[in-house]
Amino acid sequence: MRQVAFYGKGGIGKSTTQQNTAAALASMGYRLMVVGCDPKADCTRLLLRGMRQPSVLDTLRDVGPESVQLEKVVVQGYGGVKCVESGGPEPGVGCGGRGVITAIQTLETLGAYKDDLDYVFYDVLGDVVCGGFAMPIREGYAEEIYIVCSGEYMALFAANNICKGIKKFAERGYARLGGLVCNSRLVENEQALVDEFARRLNTKMIHFIPRSKDVQRAEINKKTVIDYDPDLPQAREYRELARKIDENDEFTIPTPITQEELEDLMREYGIVD
Amino acid sequence: MQFKCNQTLPERAIHIALKGPGGTCQRGDGTNCFIASNVATTPGDMTERGCTYAGCRGVVGGPVKDAIQLTHGPIGCAFFSWGYRPHLAESDFHIKYTFVSDMNETNIVFGGEKKLLQSIIEANAEFPDAKAVFIYNTCSTALIGDDGRDVAKQAEAIIGKPVVFFECEGFRGVSQSMGHHVGNETIFRQLVGSVEPEGDFSRSINIIGDYNIKNDIRTFEYLFEALGLRIIARFTGNVSVDDLKIMHKAALNIVHCQRSATYIADMMKEKYSTPYINVTLWGIKNMAQALRDTAAFFGLEARAEEVIASEVARIQPHIDAYRQCLQGKRVFIYQGGPRVWHWIELLRELGMETETAATTFGHTDDYEKIFKQIADGALVIDNPNVPEIEEILTRRRPDLFISGNKERYVAYKLGVPFVNGHTYDTGPYAGFVGMVNFARDIDKALHAPVWNVLHQHARPAPADRRTAHGFEEVPG
Repeated sequence: MRQVAFYGKGGIGKSTTQQNTAAALASMGYRLMVVGCDPKADCTRLLLRGMRQPSVLDTLRDVGPESVQLEKVVVQGYGGVKCVESGGPEPGVGCGGRGVITAIQTLETLGAYKDDLDYVFYDVLGDVVCGGFAMPIREGYAEEIYIVCSGEYMALFAANNICKGIKKFAERGYARLGGLVCNSRLVENEQALVDEFARRLNTKMIHFIPRSKDVQRAEINKKTVIDYDPDLPQAREYRELARKIDENDEFTIPTPITQEELEDLMREYGIVD
Repeated sequence: MQFKCNQTLPERAIHIALKGPGGTCQRGDGTNCFIASNVATTPGDMTERGCTYAGCRGVVGGPVKDAIQLTHGPIGCAFFSWGYRPHLAESDFHIKYTFVSDMNETNIVFGGEKKLLQSIIEANAEFPDAKAVFIYNTCSTALIGDDGRDVAKQAEAIIGKPVVFFECEGFRGVSQSMGHHVGNETIFRQLVGSVEPEGDFSRSINIIGDYNIKNDIRTFEYLFEALGLRIIARFTGNVSVDDLKIMHKAALNIVHCQRSATYIADMMKEKYSTPYINVTLWGIKNMAQALRDTAAFFGLEARAEEVIASEVARIQPHIDAYRQCLQGKRVFIYQGGPRVWHWIELLRELGMETETAATTFGHTDDYEKIFKQIADGALVIDNPNVPEIEEILTRRRPDLFISGNKERYVAYKLGVPFVNGHTYDTGPYAGFVGMVNFARDIDKALHAPVWNVLHQHARPAPADRRTAHGFEEVPG
């Protein structure tokens, strides 16, 4: 069983990329579980074709820790992918980070991590804002991390910050960085920029996903692209990403760069006359 | 004195000092700098300090007799802060009940504001006679950012009585001392001066910083009343919420515990120009001085002398008798803060000398007062840890250890007579009459028949049979 975590700046297309990759792996015959680690509970929407499922924390609150059953919180989605949402509080109250910890521990207690799974995906919100959101990359959980980014400054800035978090945990011997996934935002010279950025972080850009209107079209239909129309060129891209992840054997401890270095990199690559 | 137990904890050296010739401070690190206090505990140091929540809930807020005492946090915070200090009051409600919002895991994740509001409403419905609700914030609810101030405001509108929110999260500060400060500030801001009563307050006082441990207040309140003074509020022993609201009317504040309550005296001085005097209400000389200083403020000196004369005449034969039995005994006092320096003189009046003095959370001013009173050669130690206390008891062998219940059985096991000065064995100990109780308890401790039965030299275990932790090795 490989446990994989997806991190990245909020709004970068993390959940879309993660779900399409999951769908692609499922279509290749793998058995997966996707654990959404975002209080908004929107990490499995496409796999479940728009169906809202009860989140672990909502269930925990409503029925109490003794009465939570795995069947209540694990729902089968596209291609047999098991979908779980940790859920969490409304914005501005409580502790979402503690929520992620509680949810993952509950899943473990309930025996959600079965040997018959090939992959477990963790989809983690935005930046690693506190210890709770680092839970998926602590010991015993995800050992492989992919950061979704684009060639935009703030996306790279967030990716660099996430690398600082990964480095901390990597030094304790747990998680490793598998690569950057560039989800194109049509930034000039984007591929070369992210490629070089990845190199400086001691990793690689594992795949460049071109911008495509088909992604949005599929989303409006509450589906992944793989599910919506497997013959679309964008579906091929996601299958390609899935294949690369499946075959990936280069896992590194990232070397985050300074803000100045990042700004220089942007100047060097980001502006092309 | 070099502590064996501190070989691996050299950071403790600056918290240990001897009073050298001419009142110099001979500190453990070899300098003559003043003893360090009120700083964060070094990791590895088995401190006995409490937390900010404990100082606020347990010491300052807790004694208010007609307020609902509600902890916003997990249930353990409420249980372990309940009933360990006998701050007695004339009330069927007080101490008997404690309240908690009972934050559990899902409450932490989803936020506790609604549950807190519900708890306030429920507690108030169960006990409608309560005059206010005091809410104490804890670590967990502070970390998740529950807006307790806003909940308190909402609750006030619903239940129509003061809801006071103390921001006394346990992780603030270095000891419980910060909690006293928070308690003072919050009560001052939320309650003091919220009612403007009519009447003449020109001969009125507040007793600041007495918590009525085992009815201490009964031993001195009547003395101030005998001077013709009216006591408006006690901060906070046996006090009601209504008293706190009008305490700003007093003509003079009398500050007893100068660690936990000078804050409110200072704030009242600044806002209402209320003067204050520092007093010690333990021991003959100090109690008399307190009455004289108070009387001098109001021009009642002659009356004070009458009161003092009659009280001293009443207790002097008892004190003389006890002094016969206690003469020459060497004492180790370890208290939270000021009681150490409050009692040095009292013990001298009983013929005893304090040769070791320690406080849990005293500040520089407390240690200055200790150094001023204590004899040359005395050992002073700040925030002593458990192994240090053991070492003092075994190596300095005091005749008497005055401390709190935490240390009681350590003292007994090491064969040292013990008196509980923190919550009193059988109090009260303050005032003139209380001193007789204190002397009686010391006498009982020192001359308990058990000391004749036990073989003095068998304790403690010989050094060569001790492990690194200081405990006797069990053979086999």
